[in-house]
Amino acid sequence: MPHRLEIALKNELFDAEGAAVAGKAAAYFGIRVQDVRAVHIITLDVDLSPEQLETVRKEIFTNPVTQVSAFAPLDLGFDWCIWVGYRPGVKDNPGHTAIEAMEDVLGIRLGEGEGVFTSKRFCIKGPEISQDDAQCIAEQLLANEIIQQVKIFSKHDWDSENGVGIIIPKVRLDHKPTVTPVSVDSDAVLQQISDERNLALNVNDIPVIRQYFLDPEVRRQRQAIGLNDPTDVELEYISQGRSDHCNHNTFQGRFYYRDLSTGETETIDNLFKACIQEPTRQLQAQKDWVISVLWDNAGVGRFDRDHYYVITGETHNSPSNMEAYGGAITGIVGVYRDPLGTGKGARLIMGSYGFCTGDRDYDGELKPRLHPRRLLDGIIEGVRDGGNKSGIPTSFGQVTFDHGYMGKCLVFVTALGMMPATVAGTPSEEKTTTAGELIVMCGGRVGKDGIHGVTASSEIFTENTPAGHVQIGDPYTQKKMHDFLLQARDEGLIRFVTDNGGGGLSSSVGETARFSGGCEVWLDRVPLKYEGLDQWEIWVSESQERMTVSLRPEDEDRFMALSEKHAVESTVIGKYTDSGKLHITYEGATCAYVDMDFLTRGFPQWEFDAEWRSPEMRGLYEPVMGEPRDYNRLLTDLLARPNICSREWIIRQYDHEVQGTSVIKPLVGADRDVNSDASVIRPVLTSEQGLAFSQALLPFYSAIDAFHMTACTIDEAVRRLVAVGGDPEHIGGVDNFCWPNIQYDPVRNPDGRFKAAQLVRSCRALADTCRAYGIPLLSGKDSMYVDGHLAGAYGETHKLSAPETMQFSAVSVVKDIASCVTLDIKCSGDLVYVLGVTKDELGASEYYDRFGYTGCNVPVVDASRFWPLYKDLHAAMEKGLAASVHGIYRGGLGVHLAMCAMAGNLGIRADIGKAPGAEDLRADHLLFSESPGRFVVTVAPENAKDFESVMKNNHLACIGEVTEAPRLDLSYGADSLVSVPVADLKGAWKAPFGQLV
Amino acid sequence: MKNNSEINALVLTGYGLNCDVETAHACELAGARAACVHINDVISGAVSLEDFQIMVFIGGFSWGDDHGAGVIQAVRMKKNAGDRIIGFINQGGLVLGICNGFQTLVNFGLLPGMDNDYTARTVALTYNDCGNFRDDWVHLSINTQSPCVFTRGMENLELPVRHGEGKFIADQKVIDRLIDQNQVVCRYARADGDGAFAGGAFPGNPNGSMADIAGICDPTGRVFGLMPHPEAYNHPANHPDWSRDKQVRRCTSADEKPPLSAAGVRIFENAVAYFRA
Repeated sequence: MPHRLEIALKNELFDAEGAAVAGKAAAYFGIRVQDVRAVHIITLDVDLSPEQLETVRKEIFTNPVTQVSAFAPLDLGFDWCIWVGYRPGVKDNPGHTAIEAMEDVLGIRLGEGEGVFTSKRFCIKGPEISQDDAQCIAEQLLANEIIQQVKIFSKHDWDSENGVGIIIPKVRLDHKPTVTPVSVDSDAVLQQISDERNLALNVNDIPVIRQYFLDPEVRRQRQAIGLNDPTDVELEYISQGRSDHCNHNTFQGRFYYRDLSTGETETIDNLFKACIQEPTRQLQAQKDWVISVLWDNAGVGRFDRDHYYVITGETHNSPSNMEAYGGAITGIVGVYRDPLGTGKGARLIMGSYGFCTGDRDYDGELKPRLHPRRLLDGIIEGVRDGGNKSGIPTSFGQVTFDHGYMGKCLVFVTALGMMPATVAGTPSEEKTTTAGELIVMCGGRVGKDGIHGVTASSEIFTENTPAGHVQIGDPYTQKKMHDFLLQARDEGLIRFVTDNGGGGLSSSVGETARFSGGCEVWLDRVPLKYEGLDQWEIWVSESQERMTVSLRPEDEDRFMALSEKHAVESTVIGKYTDSGKLHITYEGATCAYVDMDFLTRGFPQWEFDAEWRSPEMRGLYEPVMGEPRDYNRLLTDLLARPNICSREWIIRQYDHEVQGTSVIKPLVGADRDVNSDASVIRPVLTSEQGLAFSQALLPFYSAIDAFHMTACTIDEAVRRLVAVGGDPEHIGGVDNFCWPNIQYDPVRNPDGRFKAAQLVRSCRALADTCRAYGIPLLSGKDSMYVDGHLAGAYGETHKLSAPETMQFSAVSVVKDIASCVTLDIKCSGDLVYVLGVTKDELGASEYYDRFGYTGCNVPVVDASRFWPLYKDLHAAMEKGLAASVHGIYRGGLGVHLAMCAMAGNLGIRADIGKAPGAEDLRADHLLFSESPGRFVVTVAPENAKDFESVMKNNHLACIGEVTEAPRLDLSYGADSLVSVPVADLKGAWKAPFGQLV
Repeated sequence: MKNNSEINALVLTGYGLNCDVETAHACELAGARAACVHINDVISGAVSLEDFQIMVFIGGFSWGDDHGAGVIQAVRMKKNAGDRIIGFINQGGLVLGICNGFQTLVNFGLLPGMDNDYTARTVALTYNDCGNFRDDWVHLSINTQSPCVFTRGMENLELPVRHGEGKFIADQKVIDRLIDQNQVVCRYARADGDGAFAGGAFPGNPNGSMADIAGICDPTGRVFGLMPHPEAYNHPANHPDWSRDKQVRRCTSADEKPPLSAAGVRIFENAVAYFRA
């Protein structure tokens, strides 16, 4: 008989969880809530005696100091009670740990079909709360219908004996696993099957697939092992392997580019090869610190003689857009498996994030599935739990708001790891699989998770269908696996390791078997979460927290013993061969038999038409604006704009000090509340060497030209590194493209050719800028189709495409962290320098955006001029000549002088008319232009001569000094422009999100 | 328990704990030899507590913090190795619990350990009043009257807190007794106040702890638990002011403060010194 345990905080104790719900109900929806108390429910579908029940209640589930509990509904008064529980098949992490604890305390093993499920009910008091209000709180705050079910009780219909009832969200499939052969009679038939089964086969791939399976030699071989037509397992494998996600068909595509303004035409045969692979290979040849690029789960660079760092970046956009918390936590926990699966395995040392959503306070007519505010809350919490519970510092991050992200949000997650240069006497970055080695799956079990994710959302739910397409990452399970695999690595047991992410076993086994030249997989050995999965589902499931490892047979016992000690499930599911075949069986019967090289041969390249229209052809022009008069109010208002203002509330939720490595934290300054330019950690605790990391996101400039968006983004990331002390001669990059659909369709994507041209231009800028700055691309990813269709006021829908976005991450080493510098101004009397030239480059600036303008003069990177300045500045910093260094980014000189002052809680008195380039510019343009290549540096007067001497070949000017009185006093020649107390600036900068915790 | 010149520290790992590397590093900086040992190796007896003088319950998210931070770890250790751990303490060993380790010690009952009872749960660490996980540096005022061996010679300390469940609560009588018996080792203090307590005010007191309590010890002073992380202040550059400090010294003349040091390591040095004395 199932039992339901209810647990709540003692009445006299403050309920922070409930208070947060009450606070949001008031702030978001204006619902007046007096009090909310949370009740945690544990439903035990386990056969236990009354004594056993009492033991687990007291010893595990109830804190005698703080909590009360009972196997009957707790008597907490309410006007409305909202119960929220998971749908069947959704990962219930506390349910799993409850089982572990109960088995330990009671010395039992749960039987087949027994389970423990957690849920909550919220007791809400407030006489004015209507049924609709309660519904709103349930649906908009507490639950997401995709993964959760809800019940709402008024105080009148509450049954004090049965409470919420007993709800057991167990998956029951009652299905016998079946392999289905698929007809390849004609292209049309295969196309139809592809549509029906959501295989998403590309129309041009279909003849190639048919040709293969109709080939007489192939048929003969297949018949010899009992196969004729392709099976669903095989087609799913091909579909996964050929998907844009796994195969990057867009970036590998052929682009027919035409510049309609100049008449220039060019055919780019393969964007990836031309713009990413080639420049990176060239730079790899020049830079001996580049250890491993362009093939593994992440890139590898040398940290010092004995240690290599590992870096990669990912996005998790579509899942986060559906279920913000689950999507984001799955994203960050997922990217953490990439370094773990790089080389023979790297320990995770750092993570970062980038979030792009619609306006947090959006109140227009469009109806996104999740309001941006709720979306952002969920994303923040997902990355918080994923990062914090993994024990990995989240020491950098950015948030960007733009209306275009209403259609689909972006969630960037980046991971860095560290591995010894050698593992058991062999280079740590090398690995291969060899015939005879065992294929081992480690970590979580397999369910219907993530199978054909996007299309599954449109299916109708029943009480027991698994909501598998949205996942909830489990950092606890993964942390155990992380610790286990690193120990196995150090003992020399791991021959190959890779993660199971997109495509599941199909990708991880399929790719690793290419090294040995074949594999045999016994699908019936794969441990399942519940029975009833078809063979193809086991093969492509994206259930999380799994890694695939190759072992020598003689190491199996030791590996399994370690696995058991770490409480990690590991299972041998097959062996690598050199048969040339991917051979899958289930209970002895073959269900797939495909040539290993099939996926890499004979498939046609994707093709795109790309048409560029210059900004002028698109009718962009500079706005006609007179000069403002009230600069105090203007600057203060700019500081409070969503893309400028403080996000301290997010940063403080993220553990950025675990591992004890922090050197430059995400928040710095006298009050530790202003964003640092970049993060620095000291990943080897016995060394004084640092690893600097930065990111930039400037999608705004794509409104004019994605070429300059890309160049400016890279330049900003580089300047951020240089500003804290990173070595410009050692910069590794990671490109993460998030682009709207570029395939032209006259009705559904009429501007597809333009977006394709933007992509071509962006890739050209990537290649140009990386070459100029000497940045090999250690890793990168692309996520296409960042579009959404949103309902409007009258039931009509609108397509929204995200601005063309490329996040750039940059990593560098710092030889001695003692030379690191922060942006806060530190001593009155220090001289304030501006480095780099300010130009009339206000196109798509924060300033123009304030007035609804786009403009035309987009900021332009002049790498040949900037690069020497960065190197000289680095030299000056290594000599200890700079007291503070800060790049000038979004918002321009005015905003970033304010940042330096706010960080130092000191004043600046300066004549901006002295800044390089000022002679050609009006004061507002000088203050708010976003020209790249610039810094604000403060220098002690006694160091000024040396500093100027080191910097003598660059454009720089001393524009003023730091003052003890905390006031920003800016003039333009004799004219005073700005005179505001720094506290007022900071107050405005913190106001928009200052009340959030 | 071994009593040779080598001081051995056991750093507990596994099941979602995550501060092992820096805790072991801090132990070694303090002069101990540190061994990271999986919880299951303690339980199985594969590693014997008798080989160690110091045992550290480290920070992290054991069992994902599900069902209360530190609860399942405490249940598991108490059931499977409880007698050995209590024996370790009674034979003179030192036990340090940091963050998740502190939560484990109070759920086990090793703290506050009043009346020689190392099994009673009389205090709790529960959800922060601010309603969220919080990473920030705090000022601690250290009770020089406390018997705690880990904080000897210390009056104040700055350390990072990083937790969602750090609010120290207990029956007022228990709190009073902890204060009377000097078992309250460190309290959250104001940044500017010469050791004046935070008085419950956020963010000085980051979680709403009663009496600003950040850490307590048992009556012997050999078992100590605290929410802030001393192992995360293992280098001067961990301090949030370090990059300012070197410049600000240049322009401020009055009362030179001593330069920043890796002050968190002193907690571990005191533990090592206890055995060397």
